[in-house]
Amino acid sequence: MKNPFVMECGNYKTSYRKDMELFRNPRVKIRMLVIVILLFLFPLFASNYVIGLATLAAIAVIGAIGLNILTGFTGQISVGVGAFLAVGGYASAILTSTLGWSFWISLPTAGLITAIIGGLFGIPSLRLKGLYLAIATLAAQVIILWIIGRWKSLTGGGSGMILSRPTVGEFSFQSHNSYYYLVLVIAVLTTIYALNLFRTRTGRAFLAVRDRDVAAQIMGINLFSYKVMSFAISSFIVGIAGALLAHYTMIVTVELYSMQVSIQYLAMILVGGLGSVFGAILGAIFITLLPVALGYMVEFLTIFLPDAHAILSSFRQFVFGLVIILFLIFEPGGLVHIWNNIKNYFRLWPFSY
Amino acid sequence: MLVSLVLFLGLLAACGGGNSDPEPSGDAGTNAPEATGDKVIKLGGLFDESGATGDVGAPYAEGERAFFEYINSKGGIDGYEIDFIGEDYAYDTSRAQQVYQALRDRHEVVAVLGWGTADTEALRKQIINDEIPFVSASYSENLKDTGSESGYNFLLAASYSDQGRAILEWINENHEGDSTPRVALVYHEGHPFSESPIQDIKDYAASELAGKVEITPDILIELGDTDPQVTLQSWSRTNEEPDYTIINYTWGQTRNVVRDAKALGWGTQFMGLNWTAGEGLIPSGAENQQWVDVLDGYIGVVTHAFPTEDLPGMAPILEYLESKGRTVDDINQKFVQGWATASIMAEAVSIAIAETDGNVTGPDIKAAIESISNFQLAGLGADVSFASDNHAGTDQIRLGQLKDGEWMMITDYFGIGDY
Repeated sequence: MKNPFVMECGNYKTSYRKDMELFRNPRVKIRMLVIVILLFLFPLFASNYVIGLATLAAIAVIGAIGLNILTGFTGQISVGVGAFLAVGGYASAILTSTLGWSFWISLPTAGLITAIIGGLFGIPSLRLKGLYLAIATLAAQVIILWIIGRWKSLTGGGSGMILSRPTVGEFSFQSHNSYYYLVLVIAVLTTIYALNLFRTRTGRAFLAVRDRDVAAQIMGINLFSYKVMSFAISSFIVGIAGALLAHYTMIVTVELYSMQVSIQYLAMILVGGLGSVFGAILGAIFITLLPVALGYMVEFLTIFLPDAHAILSSFRQFVFGLVIILFLIFEPGGLVHIWNNIKNYFRLWPFSY
Repeated sequence: MLVSLVLFLGLLAACGGGNSDPEPSGDAGTNAPEATGDKVIKLGGLFDESGATGDVGAPYAEGERAFFEYINSKGGIDGYEIDFIGEDYAYDTSRAQQVYQALRDRHEVVAVLGWGTADTEALRKQIINDEIPFVSASYSENLKDTGSESGYNFLLAASYSDQGRAILEWINENHEGDSTPRVALVYHEGHPFSESPIQDIKDYAASELAGKVEITPDILIELGDTDPQVTLQSWSRTNEEPDYTIINYTWGQTRNVVRDAKALGWGTQFMGLNWTAGEGLIPSGAENQQWVDVLDGYIGVVTHAFPTEDLPGMAPILEYLESKGRTVDDINQKFVQGWATASIMAEAVSIAIAETDGNVTGPDIKAAIESISNFQLAGLGADVSFASDNHAGTDQIRLGQLKDGEWMMITDYFGIGDY
């Protein structure tokens, strides 16, 4: 059989324009198209349960791409994703349930509101870096959730708010499949946007800020505006993910957006691969499905150890933690690095010398 | 490209294949459902056995499991075996969403026995859509609504708000002295569980007990604040110490608050709602005696019986424990609570089977629960009654008091409906 990886042989770039193309060659374009088509055909042969999980994973993909723009590409650590998801969710809840707006206007508006609030919390990023910035975004997490929990007239306080699924005319996105398609379309659009962002002037400025901000400033990049812009763009996407999640669960409460959620999203981009859109996608799917896979494992093991529910339950959390630690030690580049290694290995196989 | 396609298809096949497999036997605690052919009814469980409320969640889940294991060993419900499929969600609301999806779509359960306030409230809209009755261990007043907000939720014990109102009535009747009793509400503001009954208690005091009971400014202590003395001290700088408190936490934080208030010299009668009461309020071990002293006289709401009580309803529990080579010392009050909750669900399943000839669905279970009238738990808890416009089974509670580390009942079942 012809090695599928060596088909890229003789594929030379002869102009800068070609070097900048989103798809390296026509085959990559076809491959991407096939994957997207398969994702759209997916509900035809999957059970409701799998589609439900895929919907949750797709929402996580949107959020993880948003966070990766900030942390992976611009190098600004954020521990406040949970709170920005909450802002998106609550904004959409207030706009649709309290003010009676249409979902289709509320969704981008919720993104904009999150972008403004995210931008505000991005202001300290000019002076703060690394751990200091992490603590500042941690403050965002605490402050935002504190306000949401106590501003009862607006947010319903501890009992949260109820939302409904979006509608188009008579059609409601109530079924598993319809909501999956809605989320998938937005996830695909987000992916395309993020991939293109890093081919633009703004995206390149983000990369420069990440790699060495002093050098970037000397080159004429306005650090302050680009850092705040990165916070705003990232928060916009995270806000959209928050709104989608809120309309999926049809309820928003403070406890949905705890610190744990922020850490899960950080884990997604770390495990997937910092600074890679593909990595964010892989990581989001991996972290969303890991507890499910471990649940299956526990279920399987209880056949042999029927009375060990409690032990196995905590064992599941132990494995979850262990997987993340092992990733950070043995593959800090994340899943996307593993994938690239596999590709590179086969590129010259079997004559890899 | 081919390889990636093959990998991708393989991944999809793995996902799809995993779920098109025959249903697993579910909870290993029950017998294999295949044994009785299709006479199986599937119920789901959402437990917290390893999370933030695992101290009370684990024995509660054990009680539910034990009940279904016991009933299956007796031949099931009217010949139908109960396949009780439960999973630990570790008090993580987003994980609860996943587990719920698995119960609904993968296992196709007809009803769910749940756990916490935050996740129950977060699921209430979805369960209406899916028509899956949901019986939670959260007694939040928000779940009482029988319409579009939480129409498939049921409360099997007095709601937190009713518990708080009942305490106010008890204080009004039992307060000694001429002054108006001053009651402080101690809770975590913004926390769905802890804050749940607060506004209702205040409203009740204002409308029904105006001039008889005075509510002081709130004492706001976060659940994670393990050293609440500073908060208590600054509160007492502007307020007089209260005559009574109504605390709404679980065991750990309740004892911290009582310890620190006593350290400040408060002579308050400390009282709390049902998750503050129970054996675990006083930890065993080296520090046991210290806590016995600090908590002496504490009064808590007791919704379900202690296993050490001599009650007719304890007979099946004792029979079950004996078959496992265990005794009442191995279980606690939360086990009984789980057992009692499961037994009410079993009654509903039994009614639904009679109504439908065995092809039971979620709406059938809902109708069955709504038809339950004066179901007796033989002392394990207050008798419950439901109706289509009433999803709160009872408003009856007992009050128990700690004396030398032992819980003594100081009232019989009573509720605000009696006033």
